[in-house]
Amino acid sequence: MNISRTKLPRLQFLARIVRKEIRHLRLTNQRLFPDAFTPEKAGQLETDVELAERVDAFVSRFGRLQDTVGDKLLPRYLDAVGEATGPAIDNLNRAEKLGLIGSAELWITLRDLRNEMIHEQLLKHKTRILSKLWERIGVQRIDIILKHRNTPLKAIHRAAKKTGIRL
Amino acid sequence: MRLKPHQIEVIRRAVADLAGDDAQVSLFGSRTNDNARGGDIDLLVEIPHPVEESAWLIARIAGRISHRLGGQKIDVVLSAPNLKRFPIHDEAKKQGVAL
Repeated sequence: MNISRTKLPRLQFLARIVRKEIRHLRLTNQRLFPDAFTPEKAGQLETDVELAERVDAFVSRFGRLQDTVGDKLLPRYLDAVGEATGPAIDNLNRAEKLGLIGSAELWITLRDLRNEMIHEQLLKHKTRILSKLWERIGVQRIDIILKHRNTPLKAIHRAAKKTGIRL
Repeated sequence: MRLKPHQIEVIRRAVADLAGDDAQVSLFGSRTNDNARGGDIDLLVEIPHPVEESAWLIARIAGRISHRLGGQKIDVVLSAPNLKRFPIHDEAKKQGVAL
């Protein structure tokens, strides 16, 4: 695929950021899930401050990476290789068709799960689900997605844009 | 109620497939108001039996509907015998229009 010369520097810059965010996520991932994350461990969250902070770090790093890849890297990548870009959902579907991500629906589901967890502020639940999530989809799958530089846009951004008043 | 027949069909299908045929889904929030415009689609999903991994189920239902409705923002509130009840559940139930 040809990438236009003028668009390359910006893309390379974003790629560096994404690689850094992947390193950060991996680090927290290794520290948080060296073994299975059990319900017993989840029970310690209220008393074990360090563990709770690790979980928080994991959730926010996961979220940041998904946003950078989905909202920034994907549209710019599609644009640079001459693909049409549009609303987030269209970019995701395009990315799925191009084989950049496994499933646009799963991408949206993961984002919704994140929002659900942040919204609920239920740390206990959060970690349990998160560990289940890793078991289910596996770190590998997410790694593959990142290597192929997939990108989705968030539905909430569209909604916010639609109703938003510029300040 | 501001939902198109096609949207209702997508919602019902997703809830039945992911939460089971015995799950009941209702619309609440601003979409029940015919005079408002746009807005998220707020859904109350009631399941008559205990559910595991409720947050994951909520995300899957919202994610599937959102994807099939072109990125439309979906908010799902889940009600099941083993889940804690919050005021939002009562409010959703009160406003709810069964789909």
